Amino acid sequence: MNDEQKIEKLKTFVSPEAVAHPASHRIFVTVAPSGLVTLVERMKAELDNWYVITISGVDKGESYEILYHFGDTTGSITVRTQIPKADPRLPSICGPIPGAVLYERELQDMFGIAVDNLPDPRPMLMPDDWPAGNFPLRKDWKFDRPAEVIPGGEK
Amino acid sequence: MKFQIPIGPQHPALKEPISIRLTVEGEVIKDADLRLGYNHRGVEKLAEEKSWIQNIYLCERICGICSHSHATCFVQGAEKLLEIEPPRRGVYLRYLVSELERIHSHLLWLGVAGHEAGFDTFFMYTWRDREVVMDLLEMISGNRVHYAINTLGGVRRDIDETLRGKILEGLAVLKARSEYYFKIGAAEPTFVARLAGVGPLTKQQAMDYCAVGPMARASGIDRDVRKNDPHDFYNEVEFDVATADSCDVLGRTIVRIKELFESYKICEQILRKLPDGPIAVKAPRRAKPGEVVSRYEAPRGENIHYIVANGSDKPERLKVRAPTLANYPATIEILKHGFIADVPLIFAAIDPCICCAERSVELVDARSGEERTLRFSDLRRMANDRARSLSLQRNVAWPL
Repeated sequence: MNDEQKIEKLKTFVSPEAVAHPASHRIFVTVAPSGLVTLVERMKAELDNWYVITISGVDKGESYEILYHFGDTTGSITVRTQIPKADPRLPSICGPIPGAVLYERELQDMFGIAVDNLPDPRPMLMPDDWPAGNFPLRKDWKFDRPAEVIPGGEK
Repeated sequence: MKFQIPIGPQHPALKEPISIRLTVEGEVIKDADLRLGYNHRGVEKLAEEKSWIQNIYLCERICGICSHSHATCFVQGAEKLLEIEPPRRGVYLRYLVSELERIHSHLLWLGVAGHEAGFDTFFMYTWRDREVVMDLLEMISGNRVHYAINTLGGVRRDIDETLRGKILEGLAVLKARSEYYFKIGAAEPTFVARLAGVGPLTKQQAMDYCAVGPMARASGIDRDVRKNDPHDFYNEVEFDVATADSCDVLGRTIVRIKELFESYKICEQILRKLPDGPIAVKAPRRAKPGEVVSRYEAPRGENIHYIVANGSDKPERLKVRAPTLANYPATIEILKHGFIADVPLIFAAIDPCICCAERSVELVDARSGEERTLRFSDLRRMANDRARSLSLQRNVAWPL
């Protein structure tokens, strides 16, 4: 399936203006969080050799932009969705694609986005004693290196 | 009665910190769990504070074996955002290093696989031959591990006619040696019997759990970024995607041996067709706002970098996904219903030591929970009975 055929197919899933084609092998689809799981299910059923590569989060100031990168034999399709910072909540896509679990757990750790229906919601990357409410990839999070204390050194 | 065996995060046999928790019943693994994050360095956050050129060197330090992969993946994307086109000679040299790196990484893996299968001669052969390609990389770039050959808009070092000859000589040596690996299974049936049937991952599972790289290709999925979503360069050289259908560790070995030959083929084509001209163009300091998805086939599978530019000299966001992370969900699936003795093979590159956790003479019966103390002679008898009843694939033919 080449880019044009994929775009034709995607236009039957979402409204035509939501599909962008900025470069060859690269298709971007914009969708509301509520329509995400349905879109992913349809894409899985109708596109071949298809898998999730990763999920990226971007802090856009007032909202988070979440990008689901999917790959197949002829390029990649990125599904873009936005959620407000005030209520960061996303549905899980682990139903149709079980392999997405680690990426969704990473989103929870790094951005503090609550992913609903995640089969394994434990923290993944952060240590057990990581203070609650610290989400490193949010733009307002800054790392302050604690002052180094040398035992027996100057007070 | 079930037991949990923790392996790692700090363990004499582990080279990198990862924690594996195996729930076992007898010696059959019933459940597996991974805990990650022991080596999380915050590279993505750090990248937002570094300039485009500094980020190449940061990306290079994500991995110590395929260091060139992340740097190339980043540079591919950054060049699109900076709107520069590297000269053809620069591109050819960049992917020459890529393929040489793939050769060194696959030779390393083959050695580790041989070692885990108890075939240490193979380990010593492959690691000796790996020195040939390491020397080539050192001659090209000046370094054995972090080549630092990439820059925005091309590469940093050129090769001359003498070096070109040396690389071709080195490739001839490696090719002759790899012919031997190609035939090794026919001469060493125990090696084949040890690998066949271990760590099964069906095609459907590989699809569902989104496996990448040799793991997916050994399950019959021709998933290779160099063919599916190639950089322009890969359209100019001829090569095939190596796949296998056996869906086990044997298949993963076969895929890597076949890929060695494909990489030799690509390297020879690069050196034959190497265009003249400059190796790099000057890159601007700032990128216009935009975003790019950059994909690259690293030796272990697909790398992806998602880069957002905001008009400054630093990226707004750099998302990195390394292939090993993508293969963890599939690895957990493979470990379930496997044997403890196969964990090192399945986890080949990580090398955990199971015997340390397995020294008790007091046994608990898995089904009744009853404890009994056995004499060593009984234990040996039980072990031998078990070995006889195992469905070991004794008559597997070496598929090459």
